[in-house]
Amino acid sequence: MDLSRRGFLQAAVLTAAASGLTVACGDDSGSGGTKNGKNLTMWYWGGALSDKVVAEAKTHFSSKIKLTSASIGGDFKQKLTTTLAAGGSSVPDITGIKGEDIASFLPNADRFLDLNDLGFKKISSQYLEWKTKLAQTKDGKQIGFPIDIGPTALFYRADLFDKAGLPTDPAKVAAEAKTWDDYFALGSELKKALAGTFLVNNISSVFNIVVGQGTKRFIDENNHFIGDQDHIRAAWTTAIRPYTLGLDAKINDNTWNAAIGKNLTTELGAAWHALDIESAAPGTKGKWRVCATPGGPANQGGSYLALPKQCRNPEEAFKIISWILSPDNNAKSFTDAAIFPASPASYAMDAMTGPDAFFGGQKIIEVFGPAAEAIPVSYEAPADSAVMAPFMAELSSIEAKGKKPDDAWKDAVSQAKQIARRQGVS
Amino acid sequence: MLSYWRQYLAISPFYLIFIAFSFFPVFYSLYLAFQRYDGLGTKQFVGLQQFEFLWNDPVFWLSIRNTLVIWVLSTVPTLFGALVLATLLHSVRRFKGFYRIALYVPNVTSIVAVAIFFGAVFSNNFGLVNAILGTVGISPVPWLSNPWLIKLVIGLLMTWMWTGYNMIIYLAGLQAIPQSVYEAAKMDGAGPVRTFFQITIPIMRPIILFTVIVSTINGLQSFSEPQVLFASNAANANLGGPGQAGLTTLLYFYQSSFLDNDYGYGAAIVWAFFVLIIVLVVINWRIVQRGSKS
Repeated sequence: MDLSRRGFLQAAVLTAAASGLTVACGDDSGSGGTKNGKNLTMWYWGGALSDKVVAEAKTHFSSKIKLTSASIGGDFKQKLTTTLAAGGSSVPDITGIKGEDIASFLPNADRFLDLNDLGFKKISSQYLEWKTKLAQTKDGKQIGFPIDIGPTALFYRADLFDKAGLPTDPAKVAAEAKTWDDYFALGSELKKALAGTFLVNNISSVFNIVVGQGTKRFIDENNHFIGDQDHIRAAWTTAIRPYTLGLDAKINDNTWNAAIGKNLTTELGAAWHALDIESAAPGTKGKWRVCATPGGPANQGGSYLALPKQCRNPEEAFKIISWILSPDNNAKSFTDAAIFPASPASYAMDAMTGPDAFFGGQKIIEVFGPAAEAIPVSYEAPADSAVMAPFMAELSSIEAKGKKPDDAWKDAVSQAKQIARRQGVS
Repeated sequence: MLSYWRQYLAISPFYLIFIAFSFFPVFYSLYLAFQRYDGLGTKQFVGLQQFEFLWNDPVFWLSIRNTLVIWVLSTVPTLFGALVLATLLHSVRRFKGFYRIALYVPNVTSIVAVAIFFGAVFSNNFGLVNAILGTVGISPVPWLSNPWLIKLVIGLLMTWMWTGYNMIIYLAGLQAIPQSVYEAAKMDGAGPVRTFFQITIPIMRPIILFTVIVSTINGLQSFSEPQVLFASNAANANLGGPGQAGLTTLLYFYQSSFLDNDYGYGAAIVWAFFVLIIVLVVINWRIVQRGSKS
């Protein structure tokens, strides 16, 4: 084979490009650079922050800092983990961390800056204590600045309640559904009056909320597995009740959107769930109401902003995030993108106290506000969500295959124990 | 050897990229299989512990069973359907090009789009299939919650995607068979069915074996189909569908590594799976050997 000069040059250019690529990937420097950079990058995912507030932040700080934000799609945690592990200049200066992922980042808190050093300690009283604490290491290092929370409530169809001869006023419904047993009794009445309707979409969601209402989860602070103890067993028993009573719609696939406006009379979920209902069943506008969760509030979701160790200008970056997440801007984010603030001061602001047309003009902050402040503090171990997964899977087995609840419990516990051992929990 | 350096230089980009993005990761994952690693912290050597966990992990064995069942449920109808379609297409005289493209299109459709579409069509409560069954008085079938039907739907999805691909390969094979063989069979009085089983299939044998091996590799790698059909989110941490009936081995690997941050265990899963694939390849190879001797 004869190689022409042009062919050789092309090959040489390609080789150089390829080797450049490999070298770039192996590059691990850049973390020790100067700490007063002018160009800062921020990573978050669609809906994590209000795009309007972020745009305002860009102009507000434009004299000192050029802030570039990127909305990262796909598996956010995965992308952040690999970028942090690779290091280098591609690590964002500011990043979002999802609420369900924060615990798994805590063992590697040294990858992030301690926000307390930058002044979070002074303003932390403006934010909910339990939420702040979930992003804190045992020795008090704060890696996450709370963005939002997901206080739960009971959403219900007032029109169907009325048809069944039940009270429709939120305060009265809350009183009638004070405990889980009351709530299931209410569901049985509803079912009798309105054939073909269901109280809950699936029992995993009930389990999830009941666990969140407690102060203990699956692993305790001494890194012991406690998922086989009474508090989890009780949550399990509660979750099984609607299944045995025939109040469970057993929706485990993505047909929830189709079911929501039709045969579900109530829905348990966090504040952000209101948007899901509204977009899935716009035809039911005005028919829904919200009241307190049976058995007390729990939290679902809600995220943080963090500053990776490589941050090129920690002081300015902290100023930016505390500006974006100030109570004023949090209230704006709520009106703009339904992001429920972690700062109680926002709850009294005009942006949040208005009546909601979808809920028949109810002022829903009157339900979510008190719920937000009453959420119990519980320790969430890094392996918590991994250990919880088999319980959810077994609950869906009961619904899908008619597996006996006792067998499902045994299997869930033994699998959870194994996952816990794998993750170094004793 | 050295005098050819320009040629080696010319082909080097592929090898450099291959080493960086395929060769190195493969062996790094082998190294990871003996460590406990959460993706960011320090790695801790644990010896064979991950494999010991794997051996005692019922979910791992469940995922293997699921994968094999889904593989059979997709490969058998795919290859059979492809052969029938190819034979039909081979005898068609008009619009050949149109049929070829029409049957190949599913293979180039985005797998995510296809999975979302199948999810809507087979939806338990409000799906198209159940709606049609309803009009003739059949009560709704729980396509996406019954453990067997879940596998059937995934198998059907893969059949739909891969039949056209295999058909093209068979068609190429059919066109290479000389017409005189068929004419001779016709003279001897063989009907179309007999011709198909005694002339077409034996001559196509090497091509069929090729598609069997390619389908084995594709079928065992099923991941996106259940991943999209049974997506998990903050409110529903369920992966692999109700009762984990759609949890394939690669999906379990993904869950362990990237959702549970257990990279060492994830690596152990894929290496154990690699051993299983080797076993299946050896079985395949044995069958090929026996075929060539007889």
